Amino acid sequence: MSDTEPAAAGRSFEANRAGGGDISAAAPAREFCAFLRERPSFLAGYVIILAVAATGLLAPLLPLHSPVDADAKAYLIAPDWSHPMGTDSAGLDIFSRVLHAPRVDLAIALVSTLWAALIGGALGAYVGLREGAGGVRGVLATLLVRVADVVQAFPVFALALVLVAVLGQGVTSIIIAIGVVNVPIYLRLMRGEALIIRNQGYVEAARIAGAGDAYLLTRHVVPNAAAPILAQMSINTGVAVLLAASLSFIGAGVRAPTPEWGSMIAMGFQNVVTGQWWPSIFPGLALALTVFGLGRIGASILAWSNPRERARPSRRAWKAFAGARSR
Amino acid sequence: MPHTLPGAHAVSRRSLLKYGAAAGAFAAAPGFSGSAFAQARAKTLVIAAPATPLSLDVENSLSLGTIDTVAAFYDYLIAFNTLPDPAVPGVMREDLAANPSLPGGYNLKGKLAESWEFAPDGKSARFTLRKGVLSNWGNELTAEDVKYTFDRKFEVKGAGSFMTFVMGLPNKDAVKVESKYVVSFTLEKPNPILMIVSGHLANPIFDSVKCKQMSTPDDPWARKFLDTNVAGFGPYALKSITRGQQLVAAARPEYYGEKPYFETVIFREVPASATRLQLLQGGAVDIAQALSPTEMKSLAGSAGATVTSIKASQMLWVELNTAFKPLDNAKVRQALNFAMPKDEVISTILQGFGTKMTAFMPDFYPGATSKFYAYDFNIAKAKALLAEAGFPNGFSTTLTYNAGNPTEEPIAIMYQTALKQIGVTVELKKLPAGTFFNALTTRSEPMIFNLDAPWTPDPGFALNLYFYSKSFVNFSNYVNADVDALIVESLSTLDEPKRMTAVTKAQQILADDAPWTLIANPGFHLSHGKDIGGIVYYTSNRLNFQDYKRV
Repeated sequence: MSDTEPAAAGRSFEANRAGGGDISAAAPAREFCAFLRERPSFLAGYVIILAVAATGLLAPLLPLHSPVDADAKAYLIAPDWSHPMGTDSAGLDIFSRVLHAPRVDLAIALVSTLWAALIGGALGAYVGLREGAGGVRGVLATLLVRVADVVQAFPVFALALVLVAVLGQGVTSIIIAIGVVNVPIYLRLMRGEALIIRNQGYVEAARIAGAGDAYLLTRHVVPNAAAPILAQMSINTGVAVLLAASLSFIGAGVRAPTPEWGSMIAMGFQNVVTGQWWPSIFPGLALALTVFGLGRIGASILAWSNPRERARPSRRAWKAFAGARSR
Repeated sequence: MPHTLPGAHAVSRRSLLKYGAAAGAFAAAPGFSGSAFAQARAKTLVIAAPATPLSLDVENSLSLGTIDTVAAFYDYLIAFNTLPDPAVPGVMREDLAANPSLPGGYNLKGKLAESWEFAPDGKSARFTLRKGVLSNWGNELTAEDVKYTFDRKFEVKGAGSFMTFVMGLPNKDAVKVESKYVVSFTLEKPNPILMIVSGHLANPIFDSVKCKQMSTPDDPWARKFLDTNVAGFGPYALKSITRGQQLVAAARPEYYGEKPYFETVIFREVPASATRLQLLQGGAVDIAQALSPTEMKSLAGSAGATVTSIKASQMLWVELNTAFKPLDNAKVRQALNFAMPKDEVISTILQGFGTKMTAFMPDFYPGATSKFYAYDFNIAKAKALLAEAGFPNGFSTTLTYNAGNPTEEPIAIMYQTALKQIGVTVELKKLPAGTFFNALTTRSEPMIFNLDAPWTPDPGFALNLYFYSKSFVNFSNYVNADVDALIVESLSTLDEPKRMTAVTKAQQILADDAPWTLIANPGFHLSHGKDIGGIVYYTSNRLNFQDYKRV
């Protein structure tokens, strides 16, 4: 047997798993699009997040008021044509800030989730593959799980708050803090998947064929555990948006006047009781909508990764089916 | 159409808050039964405050709660006479004008002291105490109590250290018991403000007999006891205190002076200002402390509540720390002053609750002058000054503000926007209240907000507090030998014209040196029920339960 054979065997095995030899990328994408078309509530999530991301990206190009420069003469103006969402107590335009905020909120959420998933996923895959194996690697794997247990024992928000307090106020600190509190989630998730995958026949075969840890991790464990990780990432991104906003709400988040929904809500909530609802309500709605969108995306990935759920006819299909039968 | 059960009353949020909070307050105050509720409520003052006192001992804390409550339990040797506030009908305020015909040179009245003498050389004073004055523990006031009070300041080394310093007391021997009811103060140097500082809020007289009873070998000055109890000669006794919830004070029938109108005072902790506002609007409380400007503005249409605004000693400014470059350059500091949009801040963020700050001390204090003020908003001038200072393209710095003060963040943003116009890039740093005060006192930030007041209404005292190079609250690290010399002169001569000349010169130098970015005199605003009267303003900006009455 040549050195290249295990890899080739791996590829053909994966290809078989993927669906009888159809390995083109376009096919699953088309299938996924059809899946979403059948489920409008999932589709709505993608539309919302694309719209939010687009406004964040395009906001600097739009003819808006400055999101960070105060207009001393525009103090707490109610929504009107000049300021469609009104202004806050520093004379900042709410509409402009709500549109600019995704640049910070989504960036924090995506980067913190991504790095947490990468680190947590890699550690989890290693732990799952090596746990109980004995030797130094086995001890290291057990140690990593225990550390994750300790980190998860702390309330998420309190831990993030402490980390931001230690690291100092700023976007980078928030990204690190949110990532740190999320790493154990991915570690445990990937570990669970890896514990199952490592006992699969194709992994045993690759191992017998001489494949090392790195090969097994990158070619077998990670690809086969990707779906739940992706689903978790989309859910976590929503949680990260909320967490970033919560940190900013209590003053531990981004520095003023950076447009960020949580800090906007915090700055405006004092005025709600005196009738100036707009500084808080609009960023609150934007935040809620974004978290909802990310939640739907997470749910769609979960449903897609579950063959039974994927195969289940959508409500629309049921209706069509019932209509046809009644005719 | 809303569904209502037959016989059910519609319960609005406001009525729920009103009756719920009132019932809660009374339920927490023992001794009230249903039949006595209305009568007891009439004679009970309920105050909603951001926090209960951190300590009842002024040596330990001068928190807002402590400031507002301590004068109810303790009395002072002397106090300023009061006169009607010329700007606010029905409100009284301290008469700060000098009166050379009276001992000490001010319009003072006796409290625990029935008479006093102040030596012509300004180096000694004698107080003759009232006889038959009893503490809340039933012990009679004697000169030993005054001696104990000042000995305690030297030993405890809390806020009292500053008090003994400004009074010019070199050591414990400077306070001497002459007889049972006479006590004397002997100084090494003349001190023109000895008498008025004697009546400072932080100089309450303790009941030495009770304090000594409560002392232990580990705690010889009864600090633990006085932290949560009182031993004083004031008009109220402490009935109970539960930190984080409420303090209850009861009027003392044996008090030597005029009996307070309110027999009971409930000082409730209500952390959210919006809730305090609603409780006041609903009539559940009589006074709501520390409302935001927009909340106070919203009381304009209230049927039962109002805001009484009084010119006050509070000042709001930005410390320009001269230990940081380029803030060591006077022209840079002047430029930063010109870039502060004071009028806009007052008319918008402060909602008109305040006036432009034009002096380096409260502008109604004797000797305060605004004639050297030149810092109205002027971006062109600010740019020119920066260029003159060698910073035509500006510079970068940090502005720190207190998360606990809701007005500072919008002011900081407004200031940041204005500074951008002169090329100064400012990063805003928001700190929680505790961390903020640490940053302020350790002088670790280049630019930091400060909201404070010199409680003793004297120009020498005020200048010494903030601008004397060795003062512990000189947070801008300002050092000017000429100003130091003028401050020392103002605090060591009884020659009033000479004093005034010295403080005027000092203010002229300060206006040029601009160690602060002046913002506003926010004033004292009491948000209260319309049936509350008897308001008296004190330069310590405190509540005084014994003054208030239902009208």
